[in-house]
Amino acid sequence: MIYLDHGATSWPKPAAVRYAVNRAMRMGGNPGRGGHRAAMWAADAVYRCREAAGQFFDAAPEQVVFTGSCTHGLNMAIRTLVRPGDRVVISGFEHNAVTRPLHGLRAEIITAGRRLFDWEDTLCSWEAALQKKPTAAVFTHISNVFGYILPVEEMARLCVVYGVPFILDCAQSAGVYPVKLRASGADFIAMPGHKGLLGPQGTGILLCARRPEPLLMGGTGSASRQQEMPEELPDRGEAGTLNVPGICGVAAGIARLSHLEPGLVAKREAELASTVARGLARLNCRVFCGAHQGGVLSFLPPEVDCERAAASFAERGIALRAGLHCAPLAHESAGTLDTGTLRISFGPDSTENQTERFLRTAAALFRKKR
Amino acid sequence: MRYGYITFRSITFAQRGQRALQRGGIESALLRTPGALSERGCGYCLRIRPKKLERAICLLRDEQAAFSRVLVQRENGELEERET
Repeated sequence: MIYLDHGATSWPKPAAVRYAVNRAMRMGGNPGRGGHRAAMWAADAVYRCREAAGQFFDAAPEQVVFTGSCTHGLNMAIRTLVRPGDRVVISGFEHNAVTRPLHGLRAEIITAGRRLFDWEDTLCSWEAALQKKPTAAVFTHISNVFGYILPVEEMARLCVVYGVPFILDCAQSAGVYPVKLRASGADFIAMPGHKGLLGPQGTGILLCARRPEPLLMGGTGSASRQQEMPEELPDRGEAGTLNVPGICGVAAGIARLSHLEPGLVAKREAELASTVARGLARLNCRVFCGAHQGGVLSFLPPEVDCERAAASFAERGIALRAGLHCAPLAHESAGTLDTGTLRISFGPDSTENQTERFLRTAAALFRKKR
Repeated sequence: MRYGYITFRSITFAQRGQRALQRGGIESALLRTPGALSERGCGYCLRIRPKKLERAICLLRDEQAAFSRVLVQRENGELEERET
């Protein structure tokens, strides 16, 4: 199979990740719950992952809160900063993991910056929105639909200037582009463990510059007599048993990424996206591409429904994703809400050979339709 | 053998403390806090040789590794809390 759906999850997982998960299942007990060898092995493994993630993302180990997913982390962060009815600024390319919790809180949402690949528009709209004194801002680093890399450094700087606490969604960027908690000024940064970090599904990290409001309350292995959740990180955000095999897998993924030349993965993915964009344009596809594009690319095939096209590709051993990608807001911004798009998303091991085979298949499929 | 104990509010804090002491050349054992010492119920501590205790406290403070209590074992085995 030619796998071009890394935006959904990275696949296949590296051997080191699979080994780490397996080893944890053989060796690890429940960390922070006992003093015996298996519990202490697990505790040590989890702390090593906190340390590694902290180094990778410029955070103290205790600021690394393990979650079940990026969505879990975003919900925790949003419920910390946003009360029902609060005014919140978001970008025009947010995922349902951001818009649904805000909808659930009946937040007054200001959507700022709806033009793809247009930093000037994004920043102008962003600053205008921040002047309306929102309670918080939430924005994605890279659109999961279009691969648009938002000008997050400047957006973050503006949030700091205007005194607006903010949450950064790094679902598509963690492990690929630099993400730094302290340097960014973010209150929270959420990410999945299973995409750019190459770990298993069921993992995520919420980097916390401030204390979160717990989304879940329960056992933390600490301060058991008190009925309030502990004040201190990371326990405050980690009720219940941690996914130790998953966390060990994430640690192995981070270790692998730490050995790569910085920026290499991002550069290669962007080049592959650019190559595919040119090839698809020659096939009369409508391709959504521009400056500030990462390794995610959306397109509309000529005269074919996206879901049927995706099915045809799947029959021929090529995995991509069709539809709204859990991001109707992004599609609304780009004018593709009625059709959805076909999305290709690259990973660190995606190759030119794979893109060439994809384009040959696309040519054969789309030529038939003419 | 007599020991000193430094308790922490969570295992993560204890682990951070242990790393700080390691960097400072002090070995410690990460253990469950004895029930009688655990004010809030359930916790972890670092067990250290008494003669290293003062330096350990300094290292933890320098590295901002927050700890809760410091206790030293007397000759009769009882634990005495040290003011910090």
